[in-house]
Amino acid sequence: MAAASPAIMPQSSENPAFLSVQGLKKHFGGVKALDGVSFSLLKGEVHALVGENGAGKSTLIKILSGVFPYDSGSISLAGEDYRPASPHDAKDLGVQVVHQEFNLLEHLSIAENISVERMPTNRFGLLDKQEMNQRARSALDAVGLTDVDVKAPVSSLGIAHRQLVEISRALQRKSRILILDEPTATLTERETRRLFEIVETIKADGVTIVFVSHHLEEVFAICDRVTVFRNGVSIGTDRISETTPDGVVQKMVGRQLAASTNDAGPSRKPGELALRLDELCTQANPSDKGISFDLRYGEIVGIAGLVGSGRTEILRGIFGVDPIRSGRVLQGGNEMRFSGPRDAIAAGIGFVTEDRKDEGLILEMPIAANMSLANMRAVSRSGLLQFSEENRRSRDGGARLKLKYGKISDAVSSLSGGNQQKVVLAKWLGRNPKVLLLDEPTRGVDVGAKAEIYAILKELARDRVALLVVSSEMPELMTLADRILVLAEHEIQGELTRPEFSEENILKLAYGQARQAGGQKQ
Amino acid sequence: MKLLKIAAAAATGLALLAGTAQADDKPVVGLIMKSLANEFFQNMMAGAQAHEEKRGDYKLLAVGMQNETDFESQINAVENFITQGVDAIVVAPADSRAMVRPLKKAMAAGIVVVNFDVALDADAKKQQNIELAFVGPDNRGGAKLAGDALGKKLGAGGKVVIIEGNPGADNANERRLGFEDSVAEFELELLDSRTAHWETEEANTVFSNMLTAHPDIQGVMAANDSMAIGVVKALESAGRDDIVVVGFDNIPAVGPMIADGRMLATVDQFGTDMAANSIDLALEVVKGGPQLEGWVKTPIELVTAN
Amino acid sequence: MTTQALSETMPNPSRFSVRSALQNAGIGLALLALILFFSVFTEHFLTPNNITNILTQITINLVLAVGMTFVILIGGIDLSVGSVMAFAAVVAGKAITLPGFGPAEAIALAVVAATLTGVACGMINGVISAYWALPSFIITLGMLNIARGAALQVSDAQTIYSFPYAFEEFGSAMIYGVPVVFLVALFLVLVAWFVLNFTVFGRLLYGIGNNEEAVRLAGHSVYWYKVAAFTICGFTAGIAAIVYMARLNISSPIAGIGFELNAIAAVIIGGTSLSGGRGSVIGTLLGAFIIGVLANGLILIGLSDFMRQMITGVVIIVAVVLDYYRAKYASK
Repeated sequence: MAAASPAIMPQSSENPAFLSVQGLKKHFGGVKALDGVSFSLLKGEVHALVGENGAGKSTLIKILSGVFPYDSGSISLAGEDYRPASPHDAKDLGVQVVHQEFNLLEHLSIAENISVERMPTNRFGLLDKQEMNQRARSALDAVGLTDVDVKAPVSSLGIAHRQLVEISRALQRKSRILILDEPTATLTERETRRLFEIVETIKADGVTIVFVSHHLEEVFAICDRVTVFRNGVSIGTDRISETTPDGVVQKMVGRQLAASTNDAGPSRKPGELALRLDELCTQANPSDKGISFDLRYGEIVGIAGLVGSGRTEILRGIFGVDPIRSGRVLQGGNEMRFSGPRDAIAAGIGFVTEDRKDEGLILEMPIAANMSLANMRAVSRSGLLQFSEENRRSRDGGARLKLKYGKISDAVSSLSGGNQQKVVLAKWLGRNPKVLLLDEPTRGVDVGAKAEIYAILKELARDRVALLVVSSEMPELMTLADRILVLAEHEIQGELTRPEFSEENILKLAYGQARQAGGQKQ
Repeated sequence: MKLLKIAAAAATGLALLAGTAQADDKPVVGLIMKSLANEFFQNMMAGAQAHEEKRGDYKLLAVGMQNETDFESQINAVENFITQGVDAIVVAPADSRAMVRPLKKAMAAGIVVVNFDVALDADAKKQQNIELAFVGPDNRGGAKLAGDALGKKLGAGGKVVIIEGNPGADNANERRLGFEDSVAEFELELLDSRTAHWETEEANTVFSNMLTAHPDIQGVMAANDSMAIGVVKALESAGRDDIVVVGFDNIPAVGPMIADGRMLATVDQFGTDMAANSIDLALEVVKGGPQLEGWVKTPIELVTAN
Repeated sequence: MTTQALSETMPNPSRFSVRSALQNAGIGLALLALILFFSVFTEHFLTPNNITNILTQITINLVLAVGMTFVILIGGIDLSVGSVMAFAAVVAGKAITLPGFGPAEAIALAVVAATLTGVACGMINGVISAYWALPSFIITLGMLNIARGAALQVSDAQTIYSFPYAFEEFGSAMIYGVPVVFLVALFLVLVAWFVLNFTVFGRLLYGIGNNEEAVRLAGHSVYWYKVAAFTICGFTAGIAAIVYMARLNISSPIAGIGFELNAIAAVIIGGTSLSGGRGSVIGTLLGAFIIGVLANGLILIGLSDFMRQMITGVVIIVAVVLDYYRAKYASK
């Protein structure tokens, strides 16, 4: 607590701290989640919280939003002691959180979701549907979703729209502090820009916004100040105008990043043909035209495109998850007919899915069990589990990916997002796949772990694995890929080679502009 | 459970449709049974069908229930029979009160109604202002026959327990009262009285526990033979051959037990003939005979080894 | 916090077993408290005879609950076990009373008939609910009716009786006051415990209960694992039928009405989550004991039937509420 907390107080006296945190500590058993956090929020500012996964941001947010009590230290909100007993309590005091993982009720309508905390009633005490729909309409209009029907079920929305519905729900109540926990993780560039416009509007209304993000360019685009966390301690607060991304990263990792993620890039030579897609059309693909491209051993092919352009469906089609309507997948010249993931895996293919929570991991189960899930034969003998072998392999797999964990028998849910993603990777690397499909491989992963994952993927390519990467982050694709296929409406709009890589070129294809102009040059 | 009822109602409907399709000038008798899962009613049903074939001068439409307490489908069956215009309804009510109102409707429609097996509640009948005779065995009297046999064997002061049928079921109540009459008459000591829901396994468990609590039990009165079998098995497991058991119904499985003395007695109420006899009585009235009155008692008989 | 791969050398099977051990300790304490209570308030409770009685009385429920544990672990439910038990008992009863067989052959025939009947019903439940991804609640509700109807049809609603003497012997045999049928049930518990904790099959059942999609995408045939879980449940219903016949020396087509609910209660009281993925068969063993001890003890202290039923209901609700808090604190 005696630790120096530099630059926590605002310099200007006419704008006193609206929320002030001093020497905050929170322990879970023997684990120090927060070990002395001090910072302050000014009224009407956009304040970024950055730090690697496990640095303590999530715990801090949960304390501010009333999920956990804190052990020691103090928090004051507008001059009064702030100690919310429950999330409900925090909301009443005007502190709203939009979580990274959504809290929407899938089968209810958008309007019902938006009003779920306080359903409007008419004078008979019955649900006032008209009022509810009106409220939802204005809430959605406020976040720019003017074309969405409030009576549609949430399950009909894409992931990006759900995010905006969550934000509109939080805004609908009078917020004094709005915490956005990685709001852009699932958004495309265009949607992110729209979100930033919304943030500016809210800020103009005098609401304080806490912005948690792994994307420093976003932090520098919209934030006024930034507080860096490392290992449960707040390292310091800076005005954005007085710092640089490099300076923030240095504070985050406590060291200089060894190599920039955007180095000269791969100088790999693609080898033999690994996979060939021939007019592949899955049942999820409404278009008549299939997808055709080649993937060679030792190369990384990126797939770009807006959310809903059919990127994930290609991977699911190859892996035998979604039934194939027409077209073929060829491996080494032979047509493969996978009746399910089991066949694809047997053919040496691995699939790092987009959604860790729903598809990639069994959160409640131990790290070791998750790592061996796709490779049960290696850790068993005639159906009996060999625990020592499983633990040995898992520890090896963890070490290879620099996994940070307590015990290999801990539940995966105890890990941070980045480390959970490493477990998913380890699960597939344990099989030494020849072809690895990856869908948003660094979603919700912090800068440090991101760089580590990139290094691993590049190493795999050097080891002659064929990688197919779907990502919404253009810098990620430009860092990793040898070439990028850009999708729109379930069709390949064009292919970019490394010299052609630029966000502008990708976006042009993704929005179908290049095609309208009669295809790209070359 | 709802599904069961819907299925039962559908089955009832189908049976009725089939029935009218081949209706001729023979009188039609609608027979409403209780649970055909109970072998007592199963046998009774078989007896009625044999009877129809033998007499050959009437048409039988029979409907069974899913379980002992499924009186809703019985009410539906009555209403369907009214719609079909049967000449007589012969019914073993699953509930002695709930069935009164629908049966009143049937009588108002000019249908001859005969109530057998379980008597409709007297108060409910008075309330609905109907007179309806009852054809059936005296469950209370029958239970007393078995209880008396036990009382005679044990003498005054004998310590007994009762294994009851489903709580709330009329025949269960009547049989318990009959056993209690014997207890009073022979000055027996009633140690405990519990339900085993007419079921063998439960009777076995419940009685084992009663025996633990009261090792000095001398006699057991079981409200049906299925439960008596469970009691006999419990006695064998406990190695007790000094305890006397009586049952009710005379199902085939207890024959050997009575023969070799593991059971003292059971009561036969000639269930196989009961529905058939009731149908005979109903047809008499349909043909212009006098209305039935009061309680037409059917025979009961004590069954022992000799 | 930055330490990588903190030293950890013990071949620790999984945190699952540690957690479930703690959980089982909680249920064990509750059972102990019940036993203590009845020992103090009734003189007959803690006697060798009564202990033998309790062991005999929980056997059928325990056997059914072992199979039920598999189904509930994958997030399913089997409402048909009571009816399937009756159907299996009736089929076996018909087999054992076939003329022209010696006692040994007749018994063997009955055992085979009962288990095959159970396995067939369970497999049908599994195949239909897994293939069309339908809720097992409704499929097994259908099977509840089918099996009951089949039992009544096959037996013509008559109690089947007069089995070979050796069969009856088996039903009432004791080893040091422990009923042999209970030992059979205990053996099933041990096999199930081994399968669930030490085999790939068991691991994947837990996985399916937690996250079916992740298991499927890892290349495992979720379909067959589900079918297997339901088949095991049907198999135990067949075993329960044999126990029923040996103990009572009859086959009744109306046997086992409501037994499914007791079996489910034992599993849930034992700490297995109704939504699947969490629980243990040792917990199920303790759960069956709690139900059995309660049924026995409440009769011994002379409580009326109706009070007894109410208290059993209260215990089920309390167990589930306690489990909620146990799960909540375990996850922190």
